[in-house]
Amino acid sequence: MTINHLDASQFTQDQLFDTDIVIIGSGAGGGIAAEQLAQAGFKILLLEEGAWYTRDDFVMQERWAYPHLYQEGAARKTRDQAIGILQGRTVGGSTTVNWTTSIRTPKATLDFWNSKFGVNFSGKDDLSDYFAAAEQRLNIHQWPVPPNANNAKLQQGCEKLGWQYTLINRNVNGCANLGYCGMGCPINAKQSMLVSTIPAAMALGATLISRISVRQLHWQSDSITGLEAVPVDQYFQPRHDLRIRIKAKHYIVAAGAIGSPALLLRSKVPDPSGRLGKHTYLHPTVISGALFDDAINGHSGAPQSIYSDQFVWPADNNKAGYKLEVPPLHPVLMATKLTGTGAQHAALMQQFNHLQVTIALLRDGFHPHSQGGTVQLDDAQQPVLDYPITDYLWQGMREALLSMAGLQFAAGARQVLPVHHDAQLYNNWPEAKAAILQLPMQALKQTVVSAHVMGGCNMSASAANGVVDQNGRHHQLQNLSVFDGSILPTSLGANPQLTIYALVWRNCQQLISSLRNQVNTLA
Amino acid sequence: MDRRKFILTGISLGAAASLGSGLAIRGWQRSLTPDSSNRDLVLSALLPALLYGALPQDATLAAAELDRTKTAISDFLPFLPLRQQQELNQLFNLLANRVTQLGLTGHVSTLADLSIHQRLQLLSRWRDSYLALLQQAYHGLRELLYGAYYGQSEHWQTLGYTAPRFR
Repeated sequence: MTINHLDASQFTQDQLFDTDIVIIGSGAGGGIAAEQLAQAGFKILLLEEGAWYTRDDFVMQERWAYPHLYQEGAARKTRDQAIGILQGRTVGGSTTVNWTTSIRTPKATLDFWNSKFGVNFSGKDDLSDYFAAAEQRLNIHQWPVPPNANNAKLQQGCEKLGWQYTLINRNVNGCANLGYCGMGCPINAKQSMLVSTIPAAMALGATLISRISVRQLHWQSDSITGLEAVPVDQYFQPRHDLRIRIKAKHYIVAAGAIGSPALLLRSKVPDPSGRLGKHTYLHPTVISGALFDDAINGHSGAPQSIYSDQFVWPADNNKAGYKLEVPPLHPVLMATKLTGTGAQHAALMQQFNHLQVTIALLRDGFHPHSQGGTVQLDDAQQPVLDYPITDYLWQGMREALLSMAGLQFAAGARQVLPVHHDAQLYNNWPEAKAAILQLPMQALKQTVVSAHVMGGCNMSASAANGVVDQNGRHHQLQNLSVFDGSILPTSLGANPQLTIYALVWRNCQQLISSLRNQVNTLA
Repeated sequence: MDRRKFILTGISLGAAASLGSGLAIRGWQRSLTPDSSNRDLVLSALLPALLYGALPQDATLAAAELDRTKTAISDFLPFLPLRQQQELNQLFNLLANRVTQLGLTGHVSTLADLSIHQRLQLLSRWRDSYLALLQQAYHGLRELLYGAYYGQSEHWQTLGYTAPRFR
């Protein structure tokens, strides 16, 4: 490849690098930071645990995409294995494999952060300019093409029931409406970090090192002094046969809301608030399948073009809110989530093209009984997330199953299947409602998934209440920033990419002026 | 205490001791090591049950699909975290050698001795077990096996699905 890219798995001896700023992780946070800081003239090293795959590699096959582009082969699970987590691990991070939904942070979420964590994004710290900048940079616009049938059923159900719905903004340019965003865009239409900010940063002189796993940050008093990394093998497992050491003036951790806390935990950085690796949020998601007489072909067309916020902010604070969306439908994704075995499972799969699927993403982190999960380290020092599901969330999930079944019947479904291991296909709304009210809401019985990992290094005005400040700077270590979804103090109630872009864009401006002031002071 | 009860107690204590960390069972360190013949034995028994109704009627075609699925599973496993690989190895080793301890009653000693119907019954017993360990085994195997089977484009005919090709 170009001289600006190094593949760490090709190193044959120990390496030492020296740079202005090292960025650990190349997803939504690291990608934005790389471009902003390279533009400001800093010498940048951008590190990524995954490989540098590009559009020619994206063959639109799950069997290649999941092991090569996702954390743990897309089979990442919480500690009790009750929640499956989809998270990218490739150059561009999750932005390379996400479904392109771009939503500004809900005002109610920002207000909650202000009241509980003292971070204020109004007045001079308003994020509007940063949202607008990211929207322009990544060509985020309302999707002008009619929704595919999978999304159209969500819209029709909302219309029938008088529920709110919104046409989705997407970060695409020249999108052919293929429907394979989750396997990497084969035509570079998706404006992920992979095709936008990262190549721009590299053109400005930034160096990308792929297939590298950062194991530890070394620190002394109030500063990071260096980092230690290893290459990964062909299966993305850390190797231990050689060491890569990197020294920088400033360190940006952007390894995602599981990877970033894990690195800081391995490094045993100061944690006086006790919140490092705690309060990790997932938008825990439940699924409802529906069979329609007409063809749905949920594999084809923009995966997400409609959402409904009818239930995100319930008037009763003791109820968990949830957002309604749909996922793309592909054989592996469906086969692993549809319930049952043997003939029953085969019969469902044979109706693949008539299957509509709706998902409900619970807004976690806004209630005393929804305090999220904890990132822990296993024997190999690799992260595992412990996320207990509380009764408050289970109750919200049951209500979400009811809403989705009602919506799907309203949209004309012949049968509805709540994705719960004790549920069956139900023929009408009263039958589904009666059954859902009786389902045992328990781990491993109720299927729960997540594609949004947030928190674990939360921002806060006070060092007593978080890991980083409002600008993403570590409260204790002066040359350390965390620039990714791990700084979110709660979940969002919206898909996270645009929030991360805007926050990191803003944080980069703060960091650039602060680093320039340092230089001026020293001069 | 009879032997079966003793071992089930051992499993549940082991699961409790590991604080639910998957299939870690105390005293079974040896079984963490991968053994491809054990894996093959277990997959050969469970795949035809899980895929009952999906596999073609023709025995030769079905055998080819099973082989392709087993290859896909061994290709995929190294991408899992080592922790999960060890848990799966342990499960394969247990199921290959000591299946009676994982919820089976009677005198049957290997998975291969069971009819397809009995294998499916065994799986649903794990699904509904009060032991988180057996529930995790059910869900872990189910996702792994179905993912491997339906990941193969050769197996999509009954779905009426083809991936688009434009280059």
